[in-house]
Amino acid sequence: MQLSRPSVRPSRIALHAIMILLVVWSVTPFVWTAQTSIKFTRDVASKTPVLWGYETTANAYRNFWLDSDDLNMWGVLAFILVVAAAATALGLIGRRARHGWPWFLGATAVICVALWRFPRIWEANDEYDFLVNSVVVTILTMVISLSIGLLAGYGLARYTGISGAVILIVALGFRALPRTAFVLPYFFGAKEIDDWLTSTGVGSWNFPLIDFPGVDTLQILDTRLAIVLALVAVNQPFTIWMLRSFFIEVPKEMEEAAMMDGATRLQAFRKVIIPIMWPAIIATGLFTMLLAYNEYLFVRVLAPTEWTLPVAIVSLTGGESSRTITEAAAASVSITLPIVIVIILFQKHLVRGLGAGAVKG
Amino acid sequence: MSTVTLKNLVKDYPNGFRAITDLSLHLDDGEFLVLVGPSGCGKSTALRMIAGLEDITSGDLYVGDRRLNDVAPKDRDMAMVFQNYALYPQMTVAENIAFPLKLRRVPKAERTAQVRHAAEILELTEQLDKKPAHLSGGQRQRVAMGRAIVRHPALFLMDEPLSNLDAKLRVQMRADIAGIQRELGVTTFYVTHDQVEAMTMGDRVAVIKDGVLQQVDTPESIYGSPDNVFVAAFIGSPSMNLFEASLTGNDERGGGYSLVLGDHRLAVPAEVVADRPALASYEGRPVVVGIRPEHLEDASVAPDHPDDQRLDATVDVREALGAETLVHFNLNAQSVDSGDPDALDELRDTGRCTARFSASSPARVGDRIRVNVDGRRLHFFDRQTHLAIRDRAHGAEQ
Repeated sequence: MQLSRPSVRPSRIALHAIMILLVVWSVTPFVWTAQTSIKFTRDVASKTPVLWGYETTANAYRNFWLDSDDLNMWGVLAFILVVAAAATALGLIGRRARHGWPWFLGATAVICVALWRFPRIWEANDEYDFLVNSVVVTILTMVISLSIGLLAGYGLARYTGISGAVILIVALGFRALPRTAFVLPYFFGAKEIDDWLTSTGVGSWNFPLIDFPGVDTLQILDTRLAIVLALVAVNQPFTIWMLRSFFIEVPKEMEEAAMMDGATRLQAFRKVIIPIMWPAIIATGLFTMLLAYNEYLFVRVLAPTEWTLPVAIVSLTGGESSRTITEAAAASVSITLPIVIVIILFQKHLVRGLGAGAVKG
Repeated sequence: MSTVTLKNLVKDYPNGFRAITDLSLHLDDGEFLVLVGPSGCGKSTALRMIAGLEDITSGDLYVGDRRLNDVAPKDRDMAMVFQNYALYPQMTVAENIAFPLKLRRVPKAERTAQVRHAAEILELTEQLDKKPAHLSGGQRQRVAMGRAIVRHPALFLMDEPLSNLDAKLRVQMRADIAGIQRELGVTTFYVTHDQVEAMTMGDRVAVIKDGVLQQVDTPESIYGSPDNVFVAAFIGSPSMNLFEASLTGNDERGGGYSLVLGDHRLAVPAEVVADRPALASYEGRPVVVGIRPEHLEDASVAPDHPDDQRLDATVDVREALGAETLVHFNLNAQSVDSGDPDALDELRDTGRCTARFSASSPARVGDRIRVNVDGRRLHFFDRQTHLAIRDRAHGAEQ
């Protein structure tokens, strides 16, 4: 497809200039952070910024993640690269395969096993637990948000009565409220429940089926559960609205045809509507993932010790020591790269939206 | 046995709108019934009620002896072809056609064989591995047909399946669908707004307007003796010319009747009155008279015609179609609104009359011509009720 025409050259040059400027504008902070993370403290602390020709080191990464002062980081890097390559390969195959599910599950499994094995191979710091928290919170938030959002979005797209409109508008109102308006009510609510659990002794019962390792007493505050519940709640308006807008694009005749073909409504939803919705599900899932992965406020308030990575990083940036600056930079780079990989893998789905053609005549 | 019986079906919407009023129909086993009507007349609603996609407010729906009012769509054993085909975009053609079988847990080998067979009937064998997005409109339509025929249902439901195709393809698919239906012998309920489809495809045609059934009969009877003004105008293209007229006795000419149509006076042949005993009672009263365009002919082409069955007119518009020529002229008579919401408002109340002349007619725009009226083919309707005037048992008094 030939879009460019020679006659519009000057405006195109200007356009490119603006785009390059925007790219530089947004990439520079990250490049700066990445540089900082591999510098020695003296270069970071120098009055004139050292932009190139400096000596590189993985000290910051080691100090942040590992409980060791003189470990060779090449082994760790190799481990991470192998895991990332395996997960990426599985993800790529899954994206091309007709049934992506097993492959995506496989990629998730590889990451989970790696996360589980890592602290048994190397001596990990507390920060490693925060990484695990981040992953658990992100995945749980995504799965729960999408499950609720798909059913609610579908229902609200197909049911056009007045109560549906009310639900949608209320949801939008909650979305519009500032995050800070929720965090204290959630905190007090969770505290009330915890107090009740403690005072009645319910919290220390032994439930046979939900005996999680490392969980002695049942509580809400300062658990991953608290973060997931809060994030699902604040994110739900977004998933519902976003998925509903995609569902509206799917003609009603799709599920009607499936039902005439012999499917129940649930089968029609699962076998016909959900496959059509895949791009929408992936796009919504990615946004939810970013929200959960980057959340600071809720984690800080609802989980005073069960941090996720953003809180851990922020705790490093308060001081003036240049040592913590390189560590914070290393931590930022570490948590950004996985997200960048995921976005690159799925960016096609973010843009593609719904494939047209077969739906309309 | 897949006879279909609709007994007094009513559909009321929550906002109080009554989409279907007392619809009663019966389809014999293997019959192809076309439900035709203008847009918004409730024909798709009727189809969706049979399919189970809309609730039935009151009345009964039977297939064979089984009452289906409260049966889920999936258990009704009906296959439906949608106007927009509703193919599953993520599946290949083969998977689309196999989907109903898969839901019924038909073993894979049998499924493949059935899909092959359906694809052969529909000439889709080459396309089986393609996704719907890569098919032409006609191919998509055939895939939708394939999905319907592969299960051997008790009843086919078709909701304007040809309206998204271009004109040439539509003519071909019309014949194909009718042929396949005849071959398979599956009872078919077909909904369309296109009266040509109704006339050419159906064993019987049911005309519906504003949710009320107007007439059910063979295409020939519907065309030849419409029950009311709406059916008369809706079936046939170009439409029947309908004018207000009055019937007068012809005492000075020795009996018989004359029709006063604007400035014109036409003799009504005696056999016409004999066939319609009720017509005599309309002497001296206003009626609606209908003349099909093909029952008008240029007098210069057919000079042997009784002089008292001729009109004088000036040609306004001439459309030469090759095999025939459509000529429009004004009769200075009051046109009758048939109640078809799709008819053009500008053409109402103009006294405009359309005639279908032989191609050899020399009439040109502006010419003063004489027009032969085939008096035996006139249609008469009551001015108030718009019902056909025939005899006491059938027509005006009904």
